[in-house]
Amino acid sequence: MDSPLLVTQTLAAFLFCMGLFMVLYRKNTMIMLMAIELMLNSANLSLVSFSHHYGLLEGQVQVFFVITLAAAESAIGISLLLNLYRNLGSVYTDKLSHLKG
Amino acid sequence: MDNFQIILIILSVATALCGIMMAVSRNPISVALSLLGVLLFTAGIYGLMAEHLVATLQLVVYAGAVMVLFIFSIMLLNLNVELKGPKIASPLTWGCALLVSGTIFLALVKSFVHFLASPEVGYSLGQSSESQQDAMNGQTYGLAVELFAKHYIAFELMGVALLIAIIGAVVLAKRKID
Repeated sequence: MDSPLLVTQTLAAFLFCMGLFMVLYRKNTMIMLMAIELMLNSANLSLVSFSHHYGLLEGQVQVFFVITLAAAESAIGISLLLNLYRNLGSVYTDKLSHLKG
Repeated sequence: MDNFQIILIILSVATALCGIMMAVSRNPISVALSLLGVLLFTAGIYGLMAEHLVATLQLVVYAGAVMVLFIFSIMLLNLNVELKGPKIASPLTWGCALLVSGTIFLALVKSFVHFLASPEVGYSLGQSSESQQDAMNGQTYGLAVELFAKHYIAFELMGVALLIAIIGAVVLAKRKID
């Protein structure tokens, strides 16, 4: 218990599964985007704590890239959602069933 | 139990509570604010582990820029009003989601406990963090060397990806698809 590895890795696994759960059961696509951000954040937490444990900076470089890509991803996702809202008037997944069947 | 452990456990419990709040609340604004709480407490954990640059990046990029984007678009789409009809999935969907995420959580914890019990945990791949930071004039210098000397191609590609994302967002959000 001298290293924060156990606590931080358990927390990262918990947050990842919470994000996965929300992506699977939510109906609001905006909340699903936020859940994806939560999953990316938990992966960052795992990388940083291993990088801290081993005294290496490689993990933090990956965290840098993940944060950049998460910002890009949320910008694209939100603009897609805006388009969806303007064309269909809703962001709920039960309205987005045009390709069903 | 020294101070480090106590503060770490307090921050972790707060982060986990914000994550649970995120999963149970119905209002998009309260989900966004719970996500903001998760990001802030995670930045606190990074700061506690003396990874100051990552903590600052987390605060500025995630908790600043990305969350402003989310809250602004919730306001723009007027999602704050509760719409009619059930917005929670059926119990079948709910149960399947719980089953999948719970299974993955148990698998992650099991593999991690297995890793902690193995002998290569104590084996340090690099130097210890403090001596490495002293040798490198602090952590930001070391990270800059990693980024601009070793991973410069990935860094440039990340710039291209950001440019494509900006152009794509402007083009997508500007006009209506007919």
